[in-house]
Amino acid sequence: MSANAESPTETQKDEPSTPQQPTEDSGTADEKKKIDVLLKAVGDTPIMKTKKWSVEKGRTVQSLSQFISRFLKMEANEQLFIYVNQSFSPSPDQEVGVLFECFGSDGKLVLHYCKSQAWG
Amino acid sequence: MSSCFLDEETFCQCCQLLLQHSHSLCDGWSWEQVKGSEGYLRKTALGTGRTRCILDQQGNSSDQHQERTFSLSFHNDEDDEDDGAVCCIQEESSSSSVVQYEYHILYSCSYQTPVLYFRASTLEGRSLCLEEVWDSVHPNYRQRLQHRPWDTITQQEHPLLGQSFFVLHPCRTEEFMMPVLKAALEEHRQVNYIVTWLSVVGPVVGLDVPLSYCTQVPEPPHTPSSSPQPPSSSPQPPSSSPQPPSSSPQPPSSSPQPPSSSPQPPSSSPQPPSSSPQPPALGTKPG
Repeated sequence: MSANAESPTETQKDEPSTPQQPTEDSGTADEKKKIDVLLKAVGDTPIMKTKKWSVEKGRTVQSLSQFISRFLKMEANEQLFIYVNQSFSPSPDQEVGVLFECFGSDGKLVLHYCKSQAWG
Repeated sequence: MSSCFLDEETFCQCCQLLLQHSHSLCDGWSWEQVKGSEGYLRKTALGTGRTRCILDQQGNSSDQHQERTFSLSFHNDEDDEDDGAVCCIQEESSSSSVVQYEYHILYSCSYQTPVLYFRASTLEGRSLCLEEVWDSVHPNYRQRLQHRPWDTITQQEHPLLGQSFFVLHPCRTEEFMMPVLKAALEEHRQVNYIVTWLSVVGPVVGLDVPLSYCTQVPEPPHTPSSSPQPPSSSPQPPSSSPQPPSSSPQPPSSSPQPPSSSPQPPSSSPQPPSSSPQPPALGTKPG
């Protein structure tokens, strides 16, 4: 459970493409083509303290999944599952920008995430 | 919760609906009937995988572009008074190559879930061994697999064909299906179990599921006796399922999938939802 207030961007300075926290006012004009992603926990998966992220459109689901896994400090035996529309799981190679254009609403893409020990 | 499980009739219905969409995409799925009543979905596809070959004595192999890795083999020497581990090093090389996959989706009565069986071979016809299959798992799932590979993918006898296949263990299917089924139940809508399940398990073993499956394959009908609805040409599934505000989504992959597991760029520029009243979102202007 990530209860600390440390911003992930500070801990991962070596990664230039880490998602950044958006400013509170949604009117920020961003040249880099980012989309807003809202992350919602499912079941007893830990809730991320920061739920709303600004993510570059070209970022893959896998990259986002790795970010969430690290943020939640997941164990090696755990797997993170991400759901779109609460109806399917996007391919890890899928770009979030494409998902946003197909399934975004109210200017954001809502993704549900769940950690599990599947498969086994 | 009984809703997290799949009965065989619904399995067949979901498969038929998936099949209809696959035909429209020329995606390659087919239904194979065995023993009169049992059947399964089948598809072959080319993908990438990591295969190994033993180098000859000069350290050469037929493939020019390879990484050289060394595998450690431990043998128990019965005569050895010590712990008995003798280590020998066998030089192999592991390379990324084109692999022919054959995927089967079967119904398991004991788990009451679908199960993914598959086999993999090089283009020369050599079957991949278990370790090569483990090495070929999508990087997104590799850490979990490496932690407990024997719990994830192993070889088993195909229940209907009796041949050796790799299988993705179904024991915890309920765990990753639960969030979707629970949400559907709460919102009084149905999902196509097979499409949802395949979207989770397929990418693990190189089987990509185009996004249009998730928007255009209908759910099976509520009453088992009625026949499945044919897919309409417009992206409007039956009205019982709630749609996202974008009423005419444009799934990016409407053409047959190229045989690779690399990221799938849209074949045409994706259209932002044209009929939704929402204000323009950040960065959605086509570039």
